[in-house]
Amino acid sequence: MKRSMKALVAGTTAVATLAFAGGAWAEQMKIGITQNNVGVDSYQTTYEKAFKEAAAANPDVDAVVLDAGGDVARQIAQIQDLVQQNVQAIIVWPTNGKAVVPAVKKAHDAGIPVIITNSNIAEQGMPFIAAFSGPNNIEQGKEAADMMCTGLNGKGDIVQISGKPGYTTAIERQKGFEDELAKACPDVKIMDTQPGDWNREKSQRVMEDFLVKYPQIDGVYAADDNMGVGALNAAKAAGRAKDIKFVGATNFAVGYEAMKKGEYYGSVYQSPIDDAKNALQTAIDVIQGKDVPKMNYFKTPQITEKNMDQFEKPAF
Amino acid sequence: MANFHVEKPVASRGQQTARVARDIRGGGMNRDRWKTIASVLARQGILVAFALFLIGFSIFSDRFLSPENILSVMRSSAIIGVMALGVTVVVIGGNLDLSVGSMLSFSTVLVVDLHDKIGPAPAIGVMLVATLALGAVNGLLVGVARLNSLIVTLGMLSAIQGLTLIYSGGKNVDIVNQDQTWFKIFGRGTIADIPTPIVIFAVGAILLHLMMAYTPFGRRIYATGGNATAAVFSGVRRSRVVFLTYLISASGVAIAAIILGSRVMGSQNNVGQGYELQVLAGVILGGTSLLGGAGTIWKTVIGVLILGFIQNGLLLMGFEYYVQWLVTWVVIILAVWLDIAAKRGRLLSPIA
Repeated sequence: MKRSMKALVAGTTAVATLAFAGGAWAEQMKIGITQNNVGVDSYQTTYEKAFKEAAAANPDVDAVVLDAGGDVARQIAQIQDLVQQNVQAIIVWPTNGKAVVPAVKKAHDAGIPVIITNSNIAEQGMPFIAAFSGPNNIEQGKEAADMMCTGLNGKGDIVQISGKPGYTTAIERQKGFEDELAKACPDVKIMDTQPGDWNREKSQRVMEDFLVKYPQIDGVYAADDNMGVGALNAAKAAGRAKDIKFVGATNFAVGYEAMKKGEYYGSVYQSPIDDAKNALQTAIDVIQGKDVPKMNYFKTPQITEKNMDQFEKPAF
Repeated sequence: MANFHVEKPVASRGQQTARVARDIRGGGMNRDRWKTIASVLARQGILVAFALFLIGFSIFSDRFLSPENILSVMRSSAIIGVMALGVTVVVIGGNLDLSVGSMLSFSTVLVVDLHDKIGPAPAIGVMLVATLALGAVNGLLVGVARLNSLIVTLGMLSAIQGLTLIYSGGKNVDIVNQDQTWFKIFGRGTIADIPTPIVIFAVGAILLHLMMAYTPFGRRIYATGGNATAAVFSGVRRSRVVFLTYLISASGVAIAAIILGSRVMGSQNNVGQGYELQVLAGVILGGTSLLGGAGTIWKTVIGVLILGFIQNGLLLMGFEYYVQWLVTWVVIILAVWLDIAAKRGRLLSPIA
């Protein structure tokens, strides 16, 4: 307890010193980022591109962009390298929320502020980070529940296709959705929940089974649009798509297109570009000693047929 | 515990004595017929297991045996199924193929991406050539260079995943005009009111069954897998046989990719992740020996259908997903056990 307090004090002082240093002499802020697994999906690919562009556009920033390739050990090594390079802030997109905690603590002890991006670090790592920048997945679940409630006029039987079991994003979206639905819309009942593993084909298979099991389905909530479109495919094949309201999250290009055709009711717009910019800005603000909320969420608004013309078609 | 161990052999010895006594007394017509049925059942233990599962699930869910559900399960099993057919041939030939999962990702991404760029027919052609080339790499390394197939295909599993990511740059690929393209026939269409994936699966199974059971080439595969040295001394060109089994496996993946791409009308880089294990589970459930030399194509079909119906049945019964994982494991063990027990005529092995 005592030691961690000491570390905290030391860390905070170091941050303050660095912030002062940053403001006083250094023209360029050196910021390092280690990402989760670029190239594995469109979201992360677009994120990296946007991050590099944002860093290049800001003359005060010198960015060191690294990728852990989904490998925890490599990410820990990269954090240590960045500490050695004496960067002024480290942004981490954790490959594993628990496994990176010791490395993050080391960076923190060395006086380098750590910003976690996109998906949060485990609870025990929270004292060692300067801020979290990313989407609020509980809030996204809630927004989806509100859209479902409006779409069904407050009454109906629905099924839920969740993300991969064990993923924080999957757990939080499900929790936010279920809690809000129970509270705001008690007459909309979730008949069944099964994981779609973020995989469109798996989700399509799950939905086919749901369609056999339940003669009446009024709505489907999928934890992302990729799975939502899989469910839509299955319902279309069974000729029941018109009777079902589909609500997703993380609006994908396919979801956007389906919405345009009137087949897909709503989603939550989460842009990897906003995600990347928010992470960089959070790091800059921390270095400059500005007051940054510990949980620094970026906006993820609802998108439906009615307001979709205000949004650009997602790049993924 | 000790009692159990002591009691078992005694009981089985008792059964044996009774059986011998019965044989000495001589059996009537009835007993002979019963024996024939028993020996048929013994050979088809997996089929018995399949029937038992179907009956079991239909008791708990009235929708389980509805025609629409059966068609739906067979349709979605067809992707795993077509791959499992090819892998069965590789396994009978005495090797393994773990690369089929990421090969499926690669081929699906390729065919879906090229569909909008060069049209459906050329896309299928290019994908077919590329997939066969990957199969040929497996075949050369295992067949000609004689490397361990487990290591080679495990390495290919991650190598092809990397290839897919390089090709796609991490982006999802989609087919834009889903309703207009004739490409939809493979995953969404029907032939004579039967969903096309089922037709493809059935035709593939019949062709490969004929090849394995009735052609000299089929017998060479069994010979190579059963005893490679003996096969070589009997004039079988082992390298060529093994090479060709990997081409067959790759063709299975290519066909599965066409069904998958057409069914989903899009693809992700990791769409086939983990499929290699489901494929292998289907093959093993069908009783194909992992040591090679033994197995049949049509039992792989049963194995794949058992997996499909278990997953579907458990979902219809409303189990949570983690219960499904456990029950799937139990059912696989039971099925394999029943199969082996039927073959040796008792539950536990007589040899300690």
